[in-house]
Amino acid sequence: MALREAIAVAFDTLWSHKLRSFLTLLGIIISIWTLVAVVALVQGVNGYVAVKIARLGSNVISIEQYSLQEMTDQKLFRAAQLRNRPLSLREFRFLRAHDRLAAQVAATSSRTIGTLLKAGAHSMTDVRVTGATSNVIDLASFDVLAGRFLSSTDDRHDASVAFIGADVARQLFPGIDPIGQTLTVDGHNCLVIGQASPQGNVFGQSQDSFVDIPLGLYRALYGAQDSLSVQVQAPSAALLPALAGQTRMLMRNIRHLRYQDADNFGIIGADSLMSLWHQLTGIIASVMVGVSFVFLVVGGIVIMNIMLAAVTERTREVGIRKALGARRRDILSQFLVESAVLSSVGGVLGILLAYAFTRVAAALTPLPFTLPWLAVAAAFAISTAVGLFFGIYPAQKAARLEPIAALRAET
Amino acid sequence: MASPPTLDAIPGPLADGDAAPGPDVIIATRDLWKIYPMGSEQVAALRGVNIAIRRNEYVAIMGPSGSGKSTLMNVIGCLDTPTRGQYWLNQHLVSQLDDDELAHIRNHEIGFVFQTFNLLARATAQHNVELPLVYAGASAPERTQRALEALRKVDLYDRRLHRPNELSGGQRQRVAIARALINNPSILLADEPTGNLDSTTSNEIMQLLDRLWQQGNTILLVTHEADIAESAHRVIHIRDGQVARDEPTRRGRQAQGG
Ligand SMILES: Nc1ncnc2c1ncn2[C@@H]1O[C@H](COP(=O)(O)OP(=O)(O)OP(=O)(O)O)[C@@H](O)[C@H]1O
Ligand SMILES: [Mg+2]
Repeated sequence: MALREAIAVAFDTLWSHKLRSFLTLLGIIISIWTLVAVVALVQGVNGYVAVKIARLGSNVISIEQYSLQEMTDQKLFRAAQLRNRPLSLREFRFLRAHDRLAAQVAATSSRTIGTLLKAGAHSMTDVRVTGATSNVIDLASFDVLAGRFLSSTDDRHDASVAFIGADVARQLFPGIDPIGQTLTVDGHNCLVIGQASPQGNVFGQSQDSFVDIPLGLYRALYGAQDSLSVQVQAPSAALLPALAGQTRMLMRNIRHLRYQDADNFGIIGADSLMSLWHQLTGIIASVMVGVSFVFLVVGGIVIMNIMLAAVTERTREVGIRKALGARRRDILSQFLVESAVLSSVGGVLGILLAYAFTRVAAALTPLPFTLPWLAVAAAFAISTAVGLFFGIYPAQKAARLEPIAALRAET
Repeated sequence: MASPPTLDAIPGPLADGDAAPGPDVIIATRDLWKIYPMGSEQVAALRGVNIAIRRNEYVAIMGPSGSGKSTLMNVIGCLDTPTRGQYWLNQHLVSQLDDDELAHIRNHEIGFVFQTFNLLARATAQHNVELPLVYAGASAPERTQRALEALRKVDLYDRRLHRPNELSGGQRQRVAIARALINNPSILLADEPTGNLDSTTSNEIMQLLDRLWQQGNTILLVTHEADIAESAHRVIHIRDGQVARDEPTRRGRQAQGG
């Protein structure tokens, strides 16, 4: 068919004007590149975060002063600031005593900004200091590398002991075994009793820069006004919704909320964290998709321009083809095929660049980047469609040429 | 061979308006005008041309440069539309045909050899010859086979992969002829097909045209050379866009007599 002829002519033209074609395709290339790379990025980070959140503790919900929605929405947060109260030690004890569905009820309280750790000549600032009940170890994602975690005895006596992360061990006790050493947490001497195995980074933030001390000691050091975060673990995933419901009712009870009152605390589960995350990456992705769409339109217009030039350059060719029996639709499809081939070649180049990008990103970061095949297929289809769409006008112009006028053209 | 039909010789209908000429008249024009607007002036390249050509006639068109021969050929070849007047091809009024029908006629019915060759500059000789078959929907192997055959006939088989700018003028002319004949058109329109050829090649081309005529094709040939015109059976002389004389050649008279 004449289609084969059209495709052959298209590649021939593309090849005989390599530089011009490449410059023409820049918009499409960049657009498809960003499109595929962003999808790869979001997918890679999503996969990573999903693993991280899953490791945060299985079947655990956390009761906090604010819900995730309140923390991420300005208006909700202002309202919640007036309404919500910090979680108190009394409320933690109440939940521990009455949450019958729970396998574990643990409490933590932590701060990062302004903290100061010292050991001998070494010091660290802005380390996450957490006051924790000893059963936190059952819910947490880290493992004990050496020594032990806080014990229930430490709990009861508010012992001056510390369990440290890998970064703290490395920086405060370089080259020596930290277990049995002393460090000061904002001026208070603590005995190092254990060290966590390294966990690595999330978004460039070390997860190993922390020190855990008994909750009572924490409250003695920093005051009792910080809100607690109470973690409740269900014996199985199936019981998690029931546990969340029961915990919420207990909280509303102890806070004497009436039926019509809104919660003045928040309950956060792995699923709500995940949905928040998706919401965030969704925003990033849609902004980038918007940007690549703009490139796509610009790229399409450039293609239209070059195709108009091609039609003018090849008016005589059109005349010859028409004189030999080409119908309007033959000429139309010839130029449509040409602009579609042009832009899909741009699409393929963009996909190759995105592939290179994901390989580099996969090598440089711990994120599991792969080329998203669905996005690749979509990108190819989109780039072809852009060529077709922006090729319509030039192709129609060519198809409508009168044979004799075209034959008389100068070029 | 019957005497060349003049307008009066065409029975009845053609004289009164839109009615089609008789079935053996393959090409007929009536009061054909082509006027080019040139700024404020108007150039009339054709001023009321009346011709009628029967199926399987061999006609030469002669006339001074600028007299309108190419313009007439373009109209007859369905490449150009007249400003005024009627043109019947195969008893169809061409002005009433739509675009696709005209394309089909240009592809199947008419082979056109242009005065200026009009070859695709970027395509090889073989591909140029194949082009009409592309639009006729022939398969690739069939196209190749027929194109090579046609190139062999015009003695250009070994130049099949050359592009037009790698061929001599005469060779280009022969590629153009091979292309015009590839689809076995029933009408061959040749605008000075021997203009660039030496006498030997020119003779070969004329023999080729003769064979085509013997096979039943209708041939219209523009030429400046009287001896070339002698191969035809009838000469139409054009002057200032009008038919000045329309007469049989010696060969035509012989065919008529014998
Ligand atoms: N596109 C055009 N615009 C204006 N005038 C034109 C155009 N084409 C042809 N003409 C004029 O029409 C007249 C006839 O031209 P045509 O090409 O038919 O002559 P010709 O008989 O084929 O001449 P030659 O023997 O030199 O090929 C000429 O005077 C020419 O200037
Ligand atoms: Mg001419």
